Amino acid sequence: MPLDVWFILKSIIRPTLEITILWIMFYRILVFFEGTRAFHVLKGIMYLLVVFVLAQILHLETLSWLLTKFFGLSIIAFLIIFQPELRHGLARLGQQHLFSPTLEESEMVALIEEITSAIYKLSRKKVGCLIAIERETKLKTYLESGLLIDAKASSEILQSIFTTASPLHDGGVIIQGERIVAASCLFPLSDNQNFSKLIGTRHRAALGLTEQTDAVVIMVSEETAEISVALEGGFVPIANRERLVALLKDLLITHNKKIHLRNRKDEKVVHT
Amino acid sequence: MKKWFTHNLTLKLFSLVLAIVTWIYVNGELGK
Repeated sequence: MPLDVWFILKSIIRPTLEITILWIMFYRILVFFEGTRAFHVLKGIMYLLVVFVLAQILHLETLSWLLTKFFGLSIIAFLIIFQPELRHGLARLGQQHLFSPTLEESEMVALIEEITSAIYKLSRKKVGCLIAIERETKLKTYLESGLLIDAKASSEILQSIFTTASPLHDGGVIIQGERIVAASCLFPLSDNQNFSKLIGTRHRAALGLTEQTDAVVIMVSEETAEISVALEGGFVPIANRERLVALLKDLLITHNKKIHLRNRKDEKVVHT
Repeated sequence: MKKWFTHNLTLKLFSLVLAIVTWIYVNGELGK
């Protein structure tokens, strides 16, 4: 009987435990680099690793030899090219939760209410603003260009940040979960020629960020006080408060539902 | 619970495949 227990322990529990630990390790490494330049390279390397292992199992000698040489060089190249990302990443190690959870629906509704309230108050005063809400793609790269805040998102804080007298009003705010993580962040400017040359830097920054990530960016124009939401490299003009709340709920709460703006009948994506 | 599974699902599945393949390979190497 003890032999049976030992056999079960060895043949089932040990592999399961080892695979689980490896799984968590690989997942954490990928999440660690997600949203940075290094992520796609790392993902590519991991694909090659799978090919390499399969080549070894299937005894594909040439492929194995080539990949062995490639890995030897690529690890050194990776360390040199992505040295800044590695440095920042290591500095943040341990700050995240394992398999970090998403917000509950009630918390998300409260967040949307706070953001909407701030947006409408700023719009009434004709104060420009740029708020990026993180979704699947991490915005680590961009928040490092701004000033780290880490405060629970509230209408009052958002209004204070964008008040023209505030030293933080230039640039954008990044919201992760229910927290404002950074302000005064620089977003990449879009060079999409389909948009009018007259659109301002704030709009170009919103477009640029949504072209490169799946973030939702809400902005208020300083000139016209108009509110728009940028998504997937396009704009959705917002007519009223209810529309903004409904759109944000759709984009943030129905998290896995992919919104294809161009196919939507009730929205108009501005490309002028 | 459903949210936990669907959140970053691609990355989770990808890392699981990678973990299984690595485990099989390393065990094969150790068994030689």
